[in-house]
Amino acid sequence: MRIFLLQRYTAVALLVFLTIHMVVVHYPPGEIHFSNIADRLENPLWKAIDIAFLFAVLIHALTGAYMVLTDVERFDRFKRALAGIAVIAGVLLFIYGTQTILAF
Amino acid sequence: MTNKKITVRIQRFNPDTDQKPYLQDFEVELAQGMTILDALHLIKEDLDGSVTFRRSCRHAICGSCAMNVNGQNMLVCETPLREKIDKNGQITIRPLPYLPIIKDLVVDRSSFWAQYQRVKPWLIPPDNVPEKEFRMSAEEVAALNDAEHCIMCGACYSACQVIALNKQYIGPHALLKAFLRVLDPRDADPRARLDDLDKGDGVYRCHTIFNCIDACPKGLNPTKAIETLRKLAMKRQAFEAARKERQKTLDKPVN
Amino acid sequence: MYKSTGFISFVLRRFTGVALVLYLFMHIWVIGGANSGAETFNDRMEFLGSPLFRIAEIGLLAAVIYHAFDGIRLLIVHYFDVTEYRKSLFYAAFVVSVILTIAGGLPILLHALEG
Repeated sequence: MRIFLLQRYTAVALLVFLTIHMVVVHYPPGEIHFSNIADRLENPLWKAIDIAFLFAVLIHALTGAYMVLTDVERFDRFKRALAGIAVIAGVLLFIYGTQTILAF
Repeated sequence: MTNKKITVRIQRFNPDTDQKPYLQDFEVELAQGMTILDALHLIKEDLDGSVTFRRSCRHAICGSCAMNVNGQNMLVCETPLREKIDKNGQITIRPLPYLPIIKDLVVDRSSFWAQYQRVKPWLIPPDNVPEKEFRMSAEEVAALNDAEHCIMCGACYSACQVIALNKQYIGPHALLKAFLRVLDPRDADPRARLDDLDKGDGVYRCHTIFNCIDACPKGLNPTKAIETLRKLAMKRQAFEAARKERQKTLDKPVN
Repeated sequence: MYKSTGFISFVLRRFTGVALVLYLFMHIWVIGGANSGAETFNDRMEFLGSPLFRIAEIGLLAAVIYHAFDGIRLLIVHYFDVTEYRKSLFYAAFVVSVILTIAGGLPILLHALEG
């Protein structure tokens, strides 16, 4: 089942990405400002990592939300509609988030 | 010397007269070697003939008397009453959870059997049925992990919170049976079985809660079976090819 | 209600999962302030700089850590035959999550109290 596999693979990817994210962005003391993020994102490798991170987290979150809803029999009937909403939301959020990463 | 008195609390529900289930207390004298089922019989015969429950063989093999005792699913016929008395001298017996109650301790198991039918619990024999007998190796038998010991009591099914949310889920009992048939080298169509299990209501709806293992009175392991089926579903093409190869030598002895 | 460690882990996993999805949407919106320039970004970040949100961040940290270790636990169950250690595995994941949450949450708390 593709959804389950997508979730497993992104879960493993997120373990790596989140560790990086926590250690690099949130561990150093001090306030986060536009400028210190922009400094880090000067490097195109960081941009690539952040875009991959965004991609993985969106897939994991939306497949997870889809699974939580379709586990309930009442919503299981609307699974096609839910999948459609998840795909559209995923694409829109990915475009918006990628713009953000490139804006720095 | 008089025997110790204990309180048996039974969840009662008569759909004709009751709005919702309630607990009723019965006083029972604890006798040597008494099982919970003995206590239920005693109550039905001496105290209240309207108490309704299912039971048959009293030897933990028919799977009729699975109930929820002090919050855990078990077969009441094989469980000593003494073991389940809590510190207040009480024991609480309820019907299997998450299933529609028909009366008192009797639940409607139609979804349980419908899912059992769905996985085609029978063996699909290969075309080249050997003249004498099928030969399985010791490893092949061991890999089945005692799954054939399942007595279809429903303890695992009604302990599963995914079943509580969604009756379309195949359920641990039927997935364990599917595991038994998929891994059986005599079965001719593991591919079709795995294709069905690979759907949204199949193996991926299991969320590894482990209640089925805790509940099983036969000590079986549906969770492990489901994890195995997940792995097989991912490589079902190769698995089907290996099965075809294996079935060519089903009539030969294995060393 | 059939209670067990597995049920507790399931409820916690679902609860933290849904919370994190909602947080993710907010996170994308806040950081997305950069789409309309550094000003908007810093404004939205400042909105989150209040002590109340600082303390809420500890809850967020706890949710992320628990969800991650629960996931690791499930991966272990999938790839190794360890169903008989199911209770110990849950307790291990829970205890590790609590320790890491305290370790990570204490600095956040102290920082929030300093103002």
